[in-house]
Amino acid sequence: MEDHKNDKTFEVDQHLTAHGRYYAGKMGSRFYISLRDKRKILGSSCKQCNKTFWPPRSICTFCFSELKKTVEIGPLGTLETFTVVTYDEPIHPRKAPFIYGIVKLDGADTGMAHLIDEVDFEEVRIGMRVQPVFAKERKGNILDIQYFKPL
Amino acid sequence: MKRNVAIIGGGQTYHKARRHDVDQAEMVNEAVRSALKDAKMTIDEIDLVILGNMEFFEGVHMTDCWLVHGTGAYGKQGLKITTGGTVGATVVCAAAHHVASGLFDKVLCIGFEKQEEGDTGAILSGVAHPLWGRSLAGAAVGYFAMLGSSYMAAWGAKEEHSAMVAVKARQNARKNKYAHLKLDITIEDALNSRMLAYPIRMLDMCPASNGACAMILADEKTAKSRSRKPVWMRAMETVHNEQFELDWRDVLTKRSIFSKVCASRLYKKLGVTKPADYFDVFEVYEPATWAELLWYEDLGLCGPGEGFKLIERGTTNIEGPLPVNPSGGVLSTNCIGASAMLRIWEAALQIRGDAGEHQVPKEVRRALTTAYGGTNWTVMTALSKTLDD
Amino acid sequence: MTKKETEWISIPMTVDVPYRFAAGQYLTRCLTELRDNGKLLAVECPECKRVQLPPRIVCAECHVKNGRWVELGSEGTLVGFTIMYLPMTDPTTGKPHDPPFVYGSIRLDGATSVLDHFVHVEPDLAKVWIGMRCSMVLRPREDRIGDLNDILYFDPLPGQKKLQA
Repeated sequence: MEDHKNDKTFEVDQHLTAHGRYYAGKMGSRFYISLRDKRKILGSSCKQCNKTFWPPRSICTFCFSELKKTVEIGPLGTLETFTVVTYDEPIHPRKAPFIYGIVKLDGADTGMAHLIDEVDFEEVRIGMRVQPVFAKERKGNILDIQYFKPL
Repeated sequence: MKRNVAIIGGGQTYHKARRHDVDQAEMVNEAVRSALKDAKMTIDEIDLVILGNMEFFEGVHMTDCWLVHGTGAYGKQGLKITTGGTVGATVVCAAAHHVASGLFDKVLCIGFEKQEEGDTGAILSGVAHPLWGRSLAGAAVGYFAMLGSSYMAAWGAKEEHSAMVAVKARQNARKNKYAHLKLDITIEDALNSRMLAYPIRMLDMCPASNGACAMILADEKTAKSRSRKPVWMRAMETVHNEQFELDWRDVLTKRSIFSKVCASRLYKKLGVTKPADYFDVFEVYEPATWAELLWYEDLGLCGPGEGFKLIERGTTNIEGPLPVNPSGGVLSTNCIGASAMLRIWEAALQIRGDAGEHQVPKEVRRALTTAYGGTNWTVMTALSKTLDD
Repeated sequence: MTKKETEWISIPMTVDVPYRFAAGQYLTRCLTELRDNGKLLAVECPECKRVQLPPRIVCAECHVKNGRWVELGSEGTLVGFTIMYLPMTDPTTGKPHDPPFVYGSIRLDGATSVLDHFVHVEPDLAKVWIGMRCSMVLRPREDRIGDLNDILYFDPLPGQKKLQA
């Protein structure tokens, strides 16, 4: 068997391009319509667990009950954690550097990941109180909230 | 089996071309709730949740993680399985193994696909080897077309035989309230449908459906105390064809083919010599009509080259002696991640006598199911009404 | 209470992932030979003697390392075919192939495995049949890159007639 270790290795560049469309479903649709049309942020509540979820979901994660009611949460919230992103990936919504954080909106038990802006990178801190800035043109997706900024 | 395993409940969604009203979690949850209701169990009693779908078909990885609220897996042990078209059956086999091992008593199996959300064509091309075969991956229908043209050339079957399979499937589906394509079609309609790749016409191929199926498997003690009609898993077998080797489309090939080898091994496990006498109903995974005719032969229901005669005589009709796909099969409903599980669930319904309008009109004690996936493998299961069958 | 028609929200998303695949030792040799010399190489298993295409390191059936490299002939036999009426896009290049066209499975002389490719013949059942002899037609050297598309198509050998059953 001949030794092929000296053959130049052959590499091929390819792409996989997939066009998808996610359906937000029962709760998701209500959430995005409310965001787009009323600039109100919704969560869903489980009476049994006494918890309010963001994102609003049709089934309680903890007790598996079916959830049908939405409840308004926020608009103010507390920054639970954050990071400053300093590298670029094609999928990122912005060019680096930018701040990603988890905001726990008033009334919700779980947080929302979003962009944090109008604040110096050195000034951001956990526990900071924030408010949403809505986009002027809203389409029914999470960027209908452009970002959160400190109060 | 180390321990006996039974199917003690199951459920499915109403499969449709469009489910804009639900997200993936909500859709999966419909099947899960339906299965729990059927088994008269609560989610708290489940020990393990196994989820399967076609990887990235919905544009989302790790569906076992982010669908947790829909599957009920929060706080439980769980497993994700991805084996292409066979995944629904592989999930059931994995669940059966987990129960048989003695480590788990009640396992929830889920198979789903929300095909409208992803880019099936693009992602499916990823199944082909990037440097050897992917350039022709867009011609997937062509693989079954080659199978069909080979079958016709080898055995003298005609396009009418394919049409007969297409009609049987959709007419059976009209009796299945959950099926996607309930079509009142005739042979004429099938023969006049648009030619996709000779000899495969539009009505000879399966649809793309949105749907989910869930089943609950349990150990013998639980099954006997909790279920009035447990359905027993008696044997399972998985066989893969070699990657790159495309012989399976040549019906005259002398080489070992996944479907024949799997059937032979499964029958050996059960001591079956005449499957047509042993099993009462068959649910096979037929992505195209010609594949069903070949399954008749590979399963040993008839000799080589005789498959088309079975459909001609009506032998495999719902009221025939060898009913095949009374549910309407994959030709009528194809939410890929669920399709293989639906074969097992539909076979279980037949054994229980719970298939409603599409119940075969004879006693069903034993059923055989097959699953199929590209790049050619199969998972087969044998189910029975009692442990003595 | 009036019931409004429910609006179901959906969000489009395109995922575009770049890849760089290494052909590996066996495919590298195969693809470079095709590109540079216009020849297709296969490998033979020392035990079962299967001549495998694409060439690969291990014979899956015998679990032994494949041995001898075999240069395949440029002629072969059509073992399967279909006439495609669907437009087809090559996912690796994005290039479309307009229907109708014939593509099939060819067993090149010397090979055990078959190769799927386009067949350069009219999409007419009288003109193409299982058992037809074909020859491999390559792109000119300057257009070959070391890919199965370096093969343009398979051309039926002239002077054949379909045998009536």
